[in-house]
Amino acid sequence: MPSASTTSACRNRRAAAGRFAVPLALAVLVILAFASLCIGDMNLTPARTLDGLLRREELATFVIWNMRLPRLLVAMLVGGALASSGLVMQAYFRNSLASPGLLGVSAGGTAGAVVAIGAGFAVNTLFFLPFASIVGACFATACVIMLARRGAGTERLLLAGIALNAMLGAVASYVLSNATLTYERNAQILFWLLGGLEDRTWEHVWMASPIVLAALFLWPLGRQMDLLSLGADEAQSLGVDVRRLRRVLLVLSTILTALATAVTGTVGFVGLTVPHIFRLLVGPEHKRLVPLSLIGGAAFVVACDLIGREAGGLRIGIVTSLIGGPFFLWLLRREA
Amino acid sequence: MSAALTISAATVPGRITGVSLTLARGVMAGLVGPNGSGKSTLLQVAAGLLSADGGQVLWNNRSPARIPMLERGRCAAWVPQDARFEFGFTVRSVVAQGRYAHGDDGKNIDEALALFDLAPLASRPVNRLSGGERQRVLLARAHATGAPLLLWDEPLAALDPRHALEVLLLGNKHTRAGGTLLFSLHDLRMAYVLDIVVVMHEGRLRAIGKPSEVLTPELLLEVFGVRSEIIPSLSLALP
Repeated sequence: MPSASTTSACRNRRAAAGRFAVPLALAVLVILAFASLCIGDMNLTPARTLDGLLRREELATFVIWNMRLPRLLVAMLVGGALASSGLVMQAYFRNSLASPGLLGVSAGGTAGAVVAIGAGFAVNTLFFLPFASIVGACFATACVIMLARRGAGTERLLLAGIALNAMLGAVASYVLSNATLTYERNAQILFWLLGGLEDRTWEHVWMASPIVLAALFLWPLGRQMDLLSLGADEAQSLGVDVRRLRRVLLVLSTILTALATAVTGTVGFVGLTVPHIFRLLVGPEHKRLVPLSLIGGAAFVVACDLIGREAGGLRIGIVTSLIGGPFFLWLLRREA
Repeated sequence: MSAALTISAATVPGRITGVSLTLARGVMAGLVGPNGSGKSTLLQVAAGLLSADGGQVLWNNRSPARIPMLERGRCAAWVPQDARFEFGFTVRSVVAQGRYAHGDDGKNIDEALALFDLAPLASRPVNRLSGGERQRVLLARAHATGAPLLLWDEPLAALDPRHALEVLLLGNKHTRAGGTLLFSLHDLRMAYVLDIVVVMHEGRLRAIGKPSEVLTPELLLEVFGVRSEIIPSLSLALP
C-alpha cells in the first residue's frame, strides 16, 4: 500500500526529527547567541568576543558585559517565556491558535505596566513593574477563562481576545493621553507599548529571571499536557488531576507572559508562531514541545533582534510581528 | 455478588434526579432512553467526572473521591460520545495515553490496536480520521487502561455494522472475564444482547432489569413513543 508506506516514512522522519530536535535547537540557539554578542554598532571578531566574555580585554569586556550580554539574556528569557506560554495556552484551550498576544494576556500585562508607570510606581526602581504586569495579565486571563470556557471554539476564543485587546489597549491609551503626565513618563510608556530590547541592563535580567523557575516547573508537565490537550474529562478519566494541572498551567502561563511583558513590553506572535512551527516539525507530543518551545522561542527572539539591529534598529516587537503576522494569516488560510 | 458500580440518589440539577442503581461484576449493561433523558450525565456521574450532588457513587464499594487520582485511571475508563481531536497525535500515541495511570509502561497497546482494527491506522494523525475511526481510537484507549469498569457513551453511534458487532463482542468478552460495562445506545434491537438494560426517562431511572422483562411494548410506547413488535427481520452476526 503506497499510502501506508508514505505515512510510516512520514512517522519515521518525525521520530528522527524528534530525537535530534532538542540538541539541534540548542546548537542553533548557541550559534545565534554568539552571533548576537559579536554583531553590533562595533562588530567584534569571535576571538575578541570570547576575550570579552572571559574579561581578557577591557573594551570588549565592557561592550559584552555591560551592553550585549544583558540584552541577549533578556531576549532569550522573553522568547522562551512567550513561546512556552503560548504552548501552554494552546493545550489548555485545546486550540492551536491560542497565544498570549491573541488572547489579550500580553495586553493585560502591558496595561498593568503602563498604569504602574503612569501612577509613578516605576520612577526610581523597576521592582514593581513585574508585579503590576502580573496583576494586569491575571485580570486578562480571568476574563478569557470566563468568556471562553475550555475547549472553546476558535471564533469564541479569538473574539474574546479581540475584545480584551481593545479594552486593555484603551486603558493604556487613556493613561498615555492623560495630560497630567510628564514628558518622561509618556516616553517611558511609549517605549513599553513598542516593545524593546534597547538598553536592557542586568536589572532587567534579574527582573526576568523568575522565568527560568517557571520553565523548570513547566518542564515535567509535558505528558499531562498531552492528555489535557485532547480533552479535560478524558484526561481526568485517564488519571490526570485535571483541576490541579489546569490551575498550575494557568498560573505558569500568566506569570511567564507577564514577566516577559514587564521587561520588554508587548512582543507579538512569539507564543503563536514558535510552538506551531515545532508542532509541524516534530508532532504534538508536549514532552518535546515544552523544551523546544523554550529553546526555540529564545532562538527566535534572538534572531529577530539580530535582524532588527541589522535593519537599522527596528524594535523587537516590530520584527516579531512582521514575521509572525504573515505566518498567522497563512495558518488561518491553511485551516480554512 | 460484589457490586462493581453503585450509584445512589445521584442528582445533577436540571439533568438527572435521584438515580440509584447497582451493577454486579461481570455484567454488560446498556443504558437506553430518548434524547436528553440523562444517559450521558449518568455516565459522567458514574465516571466520577460530575458530582452526584448529595448522592453517592461507589466503584467496587469504594468512593472514587477517596481514591488517588492516578489510581482512578486504573479503576474505570470513560469514553465520551463525540470524539474530537484538535491536535494531530498519531492513533498509536492516543491509545498509549491509556497507560498513563500505569506509568506509561507501553503494555496492552498493540493488543488494543489490533482488537479495534486500528493497526493499519496506527501512524495516522487522529485529526484526519473519520468519525467511526476516531470512536474506535477512544474505545481502544479505554481498553488499554485495563480498567475493570468501562463506561462508554454511545460507542456504536458512528460505527459501521461490522465494527459495531465487534465492539459489542469485545464488551461481552470484557464482562465474561469479570469486568463490568455500562454503555448507552439507541438501537433497541441491540439491547437483547445485554445482561441488564437501564431505561432513563426525563432524568429519572424508569426501569432496570433483563431486556426481555424490561423492554415491554408498554414501556417502549410510554418512554420512546414507539409501537414495538417482534418479527423475523434482518439479523447481522460476525462470520
